[in-house]
Formats: sequence, C-alpha cells, structure tokens
Amino acid sequence: MLKPSLDDLIKSSFRSILKNKGRTALTSLGIIIGVTSVILLTSIGNGLQIYINQQFESLGANTVFVAPGKVFNDKGGFSNSPSSRLVSTSFSLKDINDLRRNLKNSIVSPNSQSTVDISTSFANKKGVTAFGSNYLYGPNNNLIPSAGNGRWYNKEEDDKKSNVAVLGYTLANDLFPKSSALGKKIIAKGKSLKVIGILDKKGSSFGGPSFDDFLYIPIGLVFEFTGNENINAINIKASQQEGVEATKAEVKKILLKKYDKDAFSVFDSSQLLSSINSIISTLTIALTGIAAISLVVGGIGIMNIMLVTVTERTREIGLRKAIGAYPRAILIQFLIEAVILSSIGGLVGICLGALGTFAISQFFPAQVTIGSISLAFGVSFAVGVIFGVAPARKASQLSPIEALRYE
Amino acid sequence: MTPSLSKNAKKKSPVLELKNIVKTYTLGNSTFNALDGVSFAIYPGEFVSITGPSGSGKSTLMHIVGLLDNPTSGQILLEGQDISHFKEEALAKTRNITLGFVFQQFNLLAKTSAVENVALPLLYSDVPKNDRNKLAIEMLTKVGLADKAPNTPAQLSGGQQQRVAIARALVNNPLIILADEPTGNLDSKSGSEIIKLFHELHHEGRTIVLVTHDMELAKQAERIIVIRDGKIC
Repeated sequence: MLKPSLDDLIKSSFRSILKNKGRTALTSLGIIIGVTSVILLTSIGNGLQIYINQQFESLGANTVFVAPGKVFNDKGGFSNSPSSRLVSTSFSLKDINDLRRNLKNSIVSPNSQSTVDISTSFANKKGVTAFGSNYLYGPNNNLIPSAGNGRWYNKEEDDKKSNVAVLGYTLANDLFPKSSALGKKIIAKGKSLKVIGILDKKGSSFGGPSFDDFLYIPIGLVFEFTGNENINAINIKASQQEGVEATKAEVKKILLKKYDKDAFSVFDSSQLLSSINSIISTLTIALTGIAAISLVVGGIGIMNIMLVTVTERTREIGLRKAIGAYPRAILIQFLIEAVILSSIGGLVGICLGALGTFAISQFFPAQVTIGSISLAFGVSFAVGVIFGVAPARKASQLSPIEALRYE
Repeated sequence: MTPSLSKNAKKKSPVLELKNIVKTYTLGNSTFNALDGVSFAIYPGEFVSITGPSGSGKSTLMHIVGLLDNPTSGQILLEGQDISHFKEEALAKTRNITLGFVFQQFNLLAKTSAVENVALPLLYSDVPKNDRNKLAIEMLTKVGLADKAPNTPAQLSGGQQQRVAIARALVNNPLIILADEPTGNLDSKSGSEIIKLFHELHHEGRTIVLVTHDMELAKQAERIIVIRDGKIC
C-alpha cells in the first residue's frame, strides 16, 4: 500500500507550493501563456468553422453550383494551378435553356455580375457589384427581405428587365443613411432604378465580397450594363426527387457536350464546405502547434524551478528519508508538486482563454469547445509529469546522510 | 569486550546489537576503515552515549546505528533480527517504526506548524489519519509545548525547536531515540533543559542513544561507549 496516501501527498504538495506564492505564479506563467494561446486559437478555428457551416446551411443543401474553370483539384481541395484561374469560360443563355430543358424539376438560375457606380440625390458609391439573376434566385438562396423591407423582384419584372433593384443591407445604409431606401430611386450606369427591397444583414465574408454590399437586379439589366449576354455562374436548386448527385451528373453531361472538362466545375455546397473546412482545420492545427511550443517552454520553466526546489529542500528530503520516507514516496511527492504547478497554469490558462474567446466573439466568430479545454488541460498535466520526472528522481535518489549534512 | 552494563539491562535481551561492524571507505586506490570491528549491544531502557574525538568514526557509527547506512561487513541485530542485508525501502520502513531522530540542526520544516512537524513521521506510517493530530498534540504536551502547536519554527526559540524535534522523535513510539549532538546549537541553559528532558524520558523507560563529542555531556548517560580510530576502547 502506498504510504503516504495520495490525498496526504497532494495536501502536502499544495502546502509547499503555497508557501511560495510568488514563485508558483511565475513558474506557472509559461504554461498559462501556452494554454491561453492554444485555447484562443482553437476557439477561433472552431468558431470560424461553425460560422461557415451555418452560412452554407443558409445557402441550402440542395444547391448545385456551376462555375467556369477548375475550382477543385483531384484531391478535393481547391485547385491552385494558375491556368485554371485564367480560364475565362462563360456560359450562355443557350446553356441555361439546355439545362432547363433537361432538368425539368430543378430551378436553374443564371448569375452575372458587373461593377457599377451608383448615385442618389444624397450619396455616391463607386465600384458596387451588380449581381444579376432571376426572380427565383432570391427565394431559393435565403435572399428575401423581411416583412416591411419590400420584396425580391417578381417574374414579370424579371422578364421585362424592369428598372428595379434589391439592395444589400450595407449598401442601403450607405446610400440612404438617414431614411429608408425603400421606394427611392438610384442611378446606376445612367439607368434610374427603383428600390423595391432591402435585404437583412448577412454578415461579412472575411475580407471577401460581402453580400451586404451587393446590388441585386434582374440579369437582363446586367447584360445591358456589360453589353454582352455572358453568364458567369449557374445556380441550380436540385429537385427533391432527383437529388444533388444525380443533378450534378446530369449537368456535367449536358455541359460536356459543349465545353472541355477543365473549363467548368460542377459542385455542391457540401463539397465546397468540406474544402473550406479542411483549410481551416489545417490552419488551426498549424497555429495551435506553434502555440504548443510555448507549453514546452513552460514545461522547461517548471523543470528549472523544481530542480532549484529540490536543491533548496535537500535537508527536508534528508529528514523525510531519515524518518521513514522511502525513495518512491519522495519521487511521487515532487512529481505531484510539478503536476500541480502545471495544472494550476493549465486551469488559469483555460479561464483566460475562455475570457479572451468571449471578448473576441463580440467581433469575430469564436467558440470554446470541451475538446480544446480537455486537450489543453491534458497537455499541461502531461507537461507537469514529463518535466517533473527529472527533478523528482534527483530528489528521490539523494542519500539521507548527504542530504542531512547539506548546508 | 562489552563495556560495563547498567544494572537494569543485564536481564533483558538487547534491542539493538552490533556484531563486528566494519565500514570501509575507498578513495581511489587507498581504503580506509572508518569502523574496524565494532561490537556492542544496547538494552531496552538504557541511556547510552557514544563519544569520541572528531574523525574517530563516531558519525559513521551513528549512521549505522540509525540504519541510514549499511556496514561493509558485520551484523546488525534489531530485536534479534538480522537487518544488515536490508535494502533502502525496507530500511526506511524500519527507521520509521523503530527509531526517533533528534538532530543538532533540529531539521524542522520551515513555515510548517509545530504540530504538523511532530506528525510528519506518521505520514509514512500505518497510523490512521484521525489519530495523527491527536498523537502529535500528546507529544507536544509531553515536551511542554502544547500551547505552541500552531506556531511555526521561526516563531520558536532554539530550545523550543529542539523540544518540538524531540516530540517528533517520540511520536511513533520508537524503540530507540537517537540524538546527534542535540545541544550543539543551543545555549547552555536551553541545552541543560534538553538534557533534563532526556533524563525524564529515560526514567519513563525509553531507550536513548546520545552521540556527542563532548565528554561532559556524554557523562550524563548511564553508560559511555568511547570510540577512537574506528574501534571501541
């Protein structure tokens, strides 16, 4: 049977650690910093992932995207060969009609973009993305103004290329800072458009173009702005009975008749999502790994202090041995002290990391997970054990005669 | 061979018996016998002092008697059982049960209360947790320091610290109390109080081994073992 019992050892270890509060705080600091940064970075990574997943969920699970060029490489990641980005395939209205004819149950929406300058009687805004699509695109992609903020354009306005516009949340506020934009006129490329709807805030998309800054108009108007009828992308809402996979296969078959296989990509939101998720995961792991280096540095700090402690307490060790402590009791005592030091650091680090995550989450998606907490605590515990062994062994192997004689 | 025994010892069997103990130190090619065939016995209830000039082998003998060191050859019999072959762990357990140490430097844990210092040996014993504090207080009362139980060593005088150390030596009810120069760090008044305490303990029937270089102090014991050049004379 272990003598002293584990709770006696823990109690006496706590007591010796608390005798030196300042030193304990400084020793734990390395672990605190390491654990805090690990928690913060994993929280940001996790939060980002959850946020992006939510965004994609709002896009709808049944949506198939068709884009020019090769978006994905063979491994499922994003393609990064320069040639693929230079491909300037664009689709035509004929492709849309072909797709519609063959996919009777799906909703095919063309997308086309143009950059325009907008002016109103109050303000000017340059370089606004005019996003053209059809009357079904908005309702199918959660781009519906909420009650009181107007509506998406209807079939008639779409067919007639009516001079109507739906504004992104930020764009509406920029153009009409003082009053509601609804029903107001805006001028884009010499055309006077009537604002019929204002979208809800969709949130930023991390430096990329924000949906809140877009001007949504019938695609016919975009064709007038650009002077051609090129379609940049196709958005297909797959029908329930056919499903995403079958629709993708069908779309590929139709487009392959006309285009080379590298000239376009057909993908769905889950594919896009898994690629983005793998990028975020890799990034999170890499950053966490860097932060984990500071945990090792913290561990070395603990080892240093424990070695100093063993030297300082040589007489105490000698006395304990003289009155009956066998080597393993001394080893376990000092090991427990090292683990307590690192665990205190771990706990404080987790608290600071959680607080920091809370602060960051006000501006940026971040979320603490049980996984990252248990990982951080487990690692700091392990650091205590690993870096505590050498000092504890040194203590346990001291000869009681030498130790009692130590000045 | 055996020096004159005290009168009450003769009828009992020895609590500790050393038989032809040799302790050899090797330094490079030369060897040196710190103890050269030492034999003696200590009987229950005896107050024995071990004395001798520095370099006589007195400290080495103290370490052997204290079971802190193994002899190179010879036998150590503790209540008749030969323990000279015991390994470190078994020796530690034997020390915990049978010996009470009193050191010149007191060796109390700093920033730790007197009662906790006294209870320290029980941490490594089979004494149940609930009894430890009670026993420690009992021992502090015995040495007249019950009121100092919560005080740390820094709050006690040298004499009081040594009395706490004696209480610690008594707490496991040892077979032998081994005191190494217990008055060496004390003024003469505190020193004589400590010796008085030893006499009281002796009268209670405890076995005391006092190691000192001071012949005057050694004479306080019933029996004196003088060691010189590693041999008893």
